Amino acid sequence: MRTTARVTVPIVLVVAISLFLQGHNLPGGGFIGGVLTTAAFVLIYVAHDLDYLESGVLGREVEPGTSIFENRTVTAYRRVFLAGLVVVLGSGVAGIVVGDPFLTQGYVHLEGIPIYHEVELASALVFDLGVYLVVVGSLLTIVSVVSAE
Amino acid sequence: MAPDLTLVTTAVALPFVAAALTPLLYRILGERTGYAGAAVAAASFGLLATGINSYGTVGVPWVPALDVGVQFTVDGWGLLFALLASGIGVLVFVYSAEYMHGEEGLARYYAALLAFMGSILGVALASDLVLVFLFWELTSLCSFVLIGHHTEDGESRRSARMAMVVTVGGGLCLLGGLLMLAVAARGPLGGVTFDLTAMIANDEAMRAALRESGLFVPALGLIVAAAAAKSAQVPLHFWLPNAMVAPTPVSAFLHSATMVKVGVYFLGRVRPLLMSPEWVSLVATLGLLTMAVGALLAVAATDTKELLAYSTASHLGLMVAGFGFDIVYGGEAGAFHLLNHALFKAPLFLVAGIVVHEAGTRNLDNLGGLWRELPVTAAVTVVAALSMAGVPPFNGFYSKELLFEAAYEVAHEAGGVAWLYPVVATLASVLTVVYSLKFLALFFGERRAPVADVHRPPIALVVPPAVLALAAAVVSVAPQLAVDAIVQGAVDATATGEARLEVGLPTHLSPPVAMSAVALLGGFVAYPLRGRLAAGIERGVDAPVPVRPSGWYDWTVSTAEVTGARFGSVIHNGLLRTYMGWVAAAGSLLALAGFAVAGGPLETGGIGVPLSVAVVLGVATLAGVAVATASSHVAGVLTLSILGFMFAIFFILASAPDLALTQLVVETLILLIFLLVLQRLPSFYSEVRPLAIARDAGVSLLVGAMAFVSVLLTIPAPDADPTSVATYYTEQAVPGGGGTNVVNVILVDFRAFDTLGELLVVAIAAIAILVLVTMRTRGEASGAEDAAESVPDGGDSP
Repeated sequence: MRTTARVTVPIVLVVAISLFLQGHNLPGGGFIGGVLTTAAFVLIYVAHDLDYLESGVLGREVEPGTSIFENRTVTAYRRVFLAGLVVVLGSGVAGIVVGDPFLTQGYVHLEGIPIYHEVELASALVFDLGVYLVVVGSLLTIVSVVSAE
Repeated sequence: MAPDLTLVTTAVALPFVAAALTPLLYRILGERTGYAGAAVAAASFGLLATGINSYGTVGVPWVPALDVGVQFTVDGWGLLFALLASGIGVLVFVYSAEYMHGEEGLARYYAALLAFMGSILGVALASDLVLVFLFWELTSLCSFVLIGHHTEDGESRRSARMAMVVTVGGGLCLLGGLLMLAVAARGPLGGVTFDLTAMIANDEAMRAALRESGLFVPALGLIVAAAAAKSAQVPLHFWLPNAMVAPTPVSAFLHSATMVKVGVYFLGRVRPLLMSPEWVSLVATLGLLTMAVGALLAVAATDTKELLAYSTASHLGLMVAGFGFDIVYGGEAGAFHLLNHALFKAPLFLVAGIVVHEAGTRNLDNLGGLWRELPVTAAVTVVAALSMAGVPPFNGFYSKELLFEAAYEVAHEAGGVAWLYPVVATLASVLTVVYSLKFLALFFGERRAPVADVHRPPIALVVPPAVLALAAAVVSVAPQLAVDAIVQGAVDATATGEARLEVGLPTHLSPPVAMSAVALLGGFVAYPLRGRLAAGIERGVDAPVPVRPSGWYDWTVSTAEVTGARFGSVIHNGLLRTYMGWVAAAGSLLALAGFAVAGGPLETGGIGVPLSVAVVLGVATLAGVAVATASSHVAGVLTLSILGFMFAIFFILASAPDLALTQLVVETLILLIFLLVLQRLPSFYSEVRPLAIARDAGVSLLVGAMAFVSVLLTIPAPDADPTSVATYYTEQAVPGGGGTNVVNVILVDFRAFDTLGELLVVAIAAIAILVLVTMRTRGEASGAEDAAESVPDGGDSP
């Protein structure tokens, strides 16, 4: 199980991010990307345990026995979904600053960039990033808190 | 000259802003926050007073699609009410600063008081029905907080709840009535609109439209019911005396100038719109009945504030009755008495507060001869109480005389039963004189035993009532001055035709003057008999429940509680599956009932299924059966995911790759979560009772039927053209959103607001689960662990 997780999790994460990025033009988007990312994290939990991310991946010391609510990973997840909400609202408010109604989205085409040649920058991507963050943050908060019970 | 929108909006918004800042202010100023509140009220008053000569309507659109706007109308009527509220607000804040000395929860108190004043200003000036309704409900909400100020006192909580239930119930009636008006405006005003000013300007056409659609009487009934609930009219008068548990400044503010006047104010506002024979018989009768009942109960009262509360109900009845009469004098009586009542009732409440503060009791039987210790207060009371009694030449006399004239004229014209109007009005006035004298007796006559020593009140307590009494005295001496300043404007706004208000002392004997004389003489004669009168009224009040409105209230509340408790244990028994069962069954039943009512024909023909889809769906069905019959959780979970993946394939076949992807990842995630919890679940199901199986099968069938019918009814025919919405999205995705994935463009661009809402739901779900789990541990944990939990989160990075 752990071996499988070691191989699959990076692949899943990359797929998730690519799904998120291509979302505007091909199947995908913030929600799907977010859920898939969550799935990758949950896979790690199933294979290892809640503290593995901290001790195994980042190589930090984990104090055993602390309550789940002070667990640093969980705190981080909470921050992620808060940040997501801020991004979403911020992208909405940004439109107001420019003079459009709340949540108006725009886009620009950038051409002549190396490798990609043409990149489309849509402000909706920022909104979608917020969606992604909220989904990842909330789902992981839920999963880790519930699984710790 | 049209009023300045910024000015009006600032005047209304200022108290709300101040209310939001109050906790901060309180931290800096402490108990002196009251003076800051007074400054805010004075600022609003000043802003409004500058607009005294510029009547008109201003506003900006808010929801243009429904023609809802942030729209204010400044006219005499609204301005009179707004100036009274903010002016008395200044005095109440000054008084509070002293009176509430050393009380708990002052930040909340001042915030609520400020917000309350702001909502009253809003009601007074708003001319958009939606805005009126919002402010109307805000007043109920703030008064709930204010009446329930002593949160640890059960009586206080009960009274606050009662005021809330009655006035918010009235608010619902108002909403119904306003919606009817808005719908009826479709014809005469060319579209659904909430613009009250426009409705009043076209009152003939509005009435005709309302009558045509049969909504006239319901709308009238609902609006009058709302006003009656707010203005404590019989039979909804019982909440007002109970609301006296509030701190005295609140009582003075709520019951002299603001809360209870809202109903009267709105009746005056819609009077030109709804004037009709039905209006007269309903509103005038209601008002006079309340006037009499309130006066009766006030005579029987033994508590100073209770007496004033019932007297308030009685005087509100006078105003309502005035507005009820289809005659010039009626509107004049209502509008003028609004001012007069505020000017004499507010000081009386404040005086009652001083008496409690200094003598320590509110019991009328224990108080007397206080003029020796409280000379200024006594002088204030003399002016205010004689005005309340309607003794000439005090200001209360003029407006009461106008009501007598109106009642007499109406009776003279109609004859017959209508003669009851002047008779009841006179009778109520006799009682008014009796209870006014009874209140005045606090200060005169012999000292009564139990009150030991009475202190001199602080200056901040005496000044506000003195200022008001002075204003009352000015209006008494020169009533025409007040009329010219503002009351004429108020009369114009509430009159159905031309009205020129002339007031002054009567110069010759006319029937209304005779009525006044009878009332005064009767009052003075009946005053010595008040003990016997009170005993008689007490006996009537103790009658069995069916004739006591407060008995009905108690019965309704307790029955609701008992029924709720009984239902609660059935629906809410702590088992997740029971909740699911109720929610699913109730939701499906409602949806099916909705379809049945809508009555769309079910088209079953023309459903063709490609082979691939049929195979996928067949497998899904098999998986569904397998889930239901699975012998263990592992088998159940695995078969459930087969079902899920089959759906994903179905989505792909139906060319919905986004849905399929979502379905796939969600299914994976669910499977993983199940893996996490699987070891905690029992490995085998226990024996289930056949009855439970039957019940569950019933619920499943219901849900299935609902889903089936919904799909059948909502999907378009296979060969139908895409709907206009779909076409729009498909065409606009690239130019409008810059993306070729229509689903995603809709999610993040066209309907981003919906997505935002969904995100909030996700976030709330996460927070809710966090809280649930935290609470659970807290419930189980000991105090030591609680302390550990309150340690701030350590470590910022994962």
